Amino acid sequence: MRTEMNQYFAGVDIGSTMTKVVIVNEGLRASVVGPTGPEHRKLADKVMEEALEHAHLAFDDLTYIIATGYGRINVPFADKQITEITCHAKGLHSLLPTARTIIDIGGQDSKGIRIKNGKVIDFVMNDKCAAGTGRFLEIIADALNVPLDALGALSVSAEKVTPIANTCTVFAEQEVVSQLANGEPLASLTAGIHDAVAARICAMVNKLKIEQDVAVTGGGAKNIGLVKALEKRFGFALLVPHEPLLTGALGAALMAKELFQNAWAKGEKLKRSGEGLKEASLFL
Amino acid sequence: MAEDKKPRTLATESAGKIAKFVRGNMASTLKAREEGKKVAYTYINDGQDEIIRAMDIVPAYGESFAGVCAAKRDAEKYLQKAEAENFSRSLCTYATCTIGFDVWREELGGQIPPETPWGGMARPDMIIGSAQQLCDPRFKWPQATQHYLQDVPVFVGSMYYPPWDPNMDHKDQEKLYVKYAADELRELVLFCEKHTGKKMDWDRLATIVDLTDRTWDLFIETYELRRAIPTPMDTGDAMNTMVPVTFNLGTQEAYDYYVMLQEELKRKIEQKKGVAENEKYRVVWGAGLPSWFALSDFQYFNDKGVVFPVEVTYRNAEKLDRLDLPKTNDPLEHIAWRWVRFWTHWYEKARRRPGSLPKVERIIEYLEDYNCDGVVFHSAFSCRSWHAGIVQQAQVLKKVYGDIPTLIMEGDIVDISSYNEIDTHNRIDAFVETLEAHKKRTN
Amino acid sequence: MTGLQATFDLATADRYYREYGSRAKELKAAGNKIIGYLSALAPVEIMTAAKAVPVRLKGDVSQPITKADAYMETIVCPFVRNVFDSALKGNFNFLDGMVLPHQCDSIDRTSDVWNYSLKLPYWHFLNMPHVTDGPSVEFTKEILRIFIASLEKFLGTKITDQALAQAVKDHNENRRLMRGLYNLRRGDTPLITGVEMMKVLVACMSLPVTESSALIEGVTRQVKEREISPRGKVPRIMIVGDQLDDIAVIDTIEKAGAALVMDDISIGSKVYWPDVDDTADPVSGLAERYLKKLKIPTTFVSEGANYRENLEARFGHLKQYIDDFNINGVILFTYKYCDPYGFDIPAVKSFVESSGVPVLYLEDEYSTSTLPRIKTRIEAFMEMIV
Repeated sequence: MRTEMNQYFAGVDIGSTMTKVVIVNEGLRASVVGPTGPEHRKLADKVMEEALEHAHLAFDDLTYIIATGYGRINVPFADKQITEITCHAKGLHSLLPTARTIIDIGGQDSKGIRIKNGKVIDFVMNDKCAAGTGRFLEIIADALNVPLDALGALSVSAEKVTPIANTCTVFAEQEVVSQLANGEPLASLTAGIHDAVAARICAMVNKLKIEQDVAVTGGGAKNIGLVKALEKRFGFALLVPHEPLLTGALGAALMAKELFQNAWAKGEKLKRSGEGLKEASLFL
Repeated sequence: MAEDKKPRTLATESAGKIAKFVRGNMASTLKAREEGKKVAYTYINDGQDEIIRAMDIVPAYGESFAGVCAAKRDAEKYLQKAEAENFSRSLCTYATCTIGFDVWREELGGQIPPETPWGGMARPDMIIGSAQQLCDPRFKWPQATQHYLQDVPVFVGSMYYPPWDPNMDHKDQEKLYVKYAADELRELVLFCEKHTGKKMDWDRLATIVDLTDRTWDLFIETYELRRAIPTPMDTGDAMNTMVPVTFNLGTQEAYDYYVMLQEELKRKIEQKKGVAENEKYRVVWGAGLPSWFALSDFQYFNDKGVVFPVEVTYRNAEKLDRLDLPKTNDPLEHIAWRWVRFWTHWYEKARRRPGSLPKVERIIEYLEDYNCDGVVFHSAFSCRSWHAGIVQQAQVLKKVYGDIPTLIMEGDIVDISSYNEIDTHNRIDAFVETLEAHKKRTN
Repeated sequence: MTGLQATFDLATADRYYREYGSRAKELKAAGNKIIGYLSALAPVEIMTAAKAVPVRLKGDVSQPITKADAYMETIVCPFVRNVFDSALKGNFNFLDGMVLPHQCDSIDRTSDVWNYSLKLPYWHFLNMPHVTDGPSVEFTKEILRIFIASLEKFLGTKITDQALAQAVKDHNENRRLMRGLYNLRRGDTPLITGVEMMKVLVACMSLPVTESSALIEGVTRQVKEREISPRGKVPRIMIVGDQLDDIAVIDTIEKAGAALVMDDISIGSKVYWPDVDDTADPVSGLAERYLKKLKIPTTFVSEGANYRENLEARFGHLKQYIDDFNINGVILFTYKYCDPYGFDIPAVKSFVESSGVPVLYLEDEYSTSTLPRIKTRIEAFMEMIV
């Protein structure tokens, strides 16, 4: 369906650590990633503002807005909330249409999603245990005094993988520190940590009937060490989208477009939130 | 690192011989088919051993297999396989480890998965479980396994005993329970006959039952030698020496093993050879299955002068004359009496001490008989059957017996992923200080 | 709050739901004996025949456990721990006693903890077996007789066969009425929501049988008068689990745009579907129902010539409900640390899925603290099946 020239759809993905906004028209119009901070409400506005600025749009130009992610309920200007499972599937499918299984590795949770013909047919989540999420890597990076960005590259350089048995973050941290003190090479330890996270993610995803192609998205997909560790466990290569942080917001924007245009075609009009972005005017 | 760990020092040579027993048990399941025998997945302490042995069925114990995987710190791959099937990680890890192995073996068309500890176990011809008093997995696990081995027949019997009630004399209900248990054993005989195509040889069964009686007596007699000061063997070894009476009950090999163990213990006592260099504190292992991947923690205890002359765990036997069993010509009824009387053995004592519990009476009996100064409990997260109620046991013990040092350790039987050695050792250190302080006070 | 309700309707159910045990307190003050119990296995007919009031205990999912941990391990079923915690906090001070059936390890292995901590005047552990063969049925009859004798002793009364037969009639009638209320959810426009139904189920388990029946009748009359406009296509959900006794999860399901039209939970259809047969010896009919007719995972079902037939014997009723109530999605709701339900998951999930209905498996902790996580999964499931 062709997008009307003046129809713009926005997706707002409020993750536990990062907020992402994507605005689409025919194609991608703007995308912004910002920190979520402790108050979702406040910073969602800010990130949206930034996105609108990049898109050279005013808030009122937006036709329909969908919020997704952990904090989706705290976006008063969103017209609808849809879970990140549905949105990641939608977004990833538009970027990598051959993917049948999606693994989303976030800062505080991870998910496995099976899609068929672009629709979610099964999913599984881990949002309880840090061991299969970015949080685990963050804590270890801290303990090892290695910047999080460098952690993945370091693990890939390792000659061997030191197995880490503990999945409890606190204990694993202790285990790593004590191994380091015993002379275990730093690279091997980081490889072990990445494998431990990969193991937990695989244990979760294996609950689905995995079908290739398998794609990885979310913050974890930017960590080359984690992707490699996952590929090793699966035994085949994984697809990674160009901008893994944006698939949720992209999916939300595409859902907004789809829902709105479907309703339009039936002659229906979708209910809007009626909330503005801010009291003050956006443009000077 | 696991590979660098020094092998744990065993106090007895006999304990060192157990590995052969366990490997032999697992191997016998793999050889069974060519020997024309049937293999049954089964579970311990359900009173079914003699019937299975009398029918020449080869028992395969997941509890043993999972213990081996855990001891080798190689259970995680099986636990993950079960997890992928949607079995929660909070379930009995003896079960999930074995089920994970079963699922994998089925995926390979019945071939043993690569790198399975000690060759694994054969695909069973039948599964014999028991919905007995104290362990739900022993009937849920067989049922869950059948989902993956759908052509394998499953039998679930029952072995109930009168529940503890301070206001009721359990003896009033004994006959009811013994009849029920014996009837259920009869059902098992029918099941075995059906699936082996053979009839039960009742004389042979009677002989095996008699052998079990004598094994129980010998086993307890042998263990009671550990009263000696210094103790010639502690729980670290007992987690090995329990194998024959638990997994080989009803066989001559099991009996002969305890003959050998007894001789060794007598020799050690003569030579005044203890477990620890310096035996400072004697402690009862009050309850709980051990962490099979951390048996070296017993070494840690020993190095600090703490020894365990006696444990409750895997000591599911008693001298028959103490159980005062009624005479019967029916071997099934005899088995039923033996188990019902064993599980209720400490009720009488508990009734005589207001506020007490049978499990606590057992601990008190051991504290006194074995001259012990404290109690250690281990709470395994995946097993409610043996570990729910430990907090109460420790409290009641202190209440009815006196302020005695107790330690409750936390971990699991098979799942190492939540085990922390440093944390565990810290707790042990703190406990040793408590023992020290208590000793000073009472001296 | 004064005496017997004049009207029985949804507002009554709501009140008894929110002020759980309030009626029992009144009855206690009026001189009745109140016996608390856990699980679907407690033979309420026996307590009713003894002229005691059976009250099924529940916890409070919005209350964190604060006292129980000093006495009971955290690896015990979170539901059992929560109810125990609630009892320690005095919420069941109106009880004269408890009967604890042997449902599972979490109950069997903590029976002494309950008994010794609560120190109630009457305590009975009902040793129901897990298997259902001939010897087990006979054994169950004896176990029930032992319970009857112990209750007679405590109450100083005789429980006659006539009294039992009458109690059986009353409870069967109660179950029939409840099934009638459930039937109002079969059509395209269910006359009662899942949230309302949960309140009715919870209210009823705290009332004497005749008052429970009156409440069900009142609610049925009330909702039959309703005029509900059709909602259009809305996912029709069935929830399967043990003791769910709070509206939080139900509300989450219905706010996600679905209608909860059926359940297979232990305070719901599990107890209201099977009746007690009218046998010459009432204990016989009771043993048959509690051991063989109740479909709970702690009772081992061996029927069936092969595995598929056995699955039908164990879970066939779920397929029946799916047909009768036109179910689009099933939510399996279990608690962490629950071996009986946990070991069943692969079998029951595949059984339901084989009938073409998608399944969402949730493992929870009997606490609203996990609600945000549950919410996302439920919403994603609804988005998936629509």
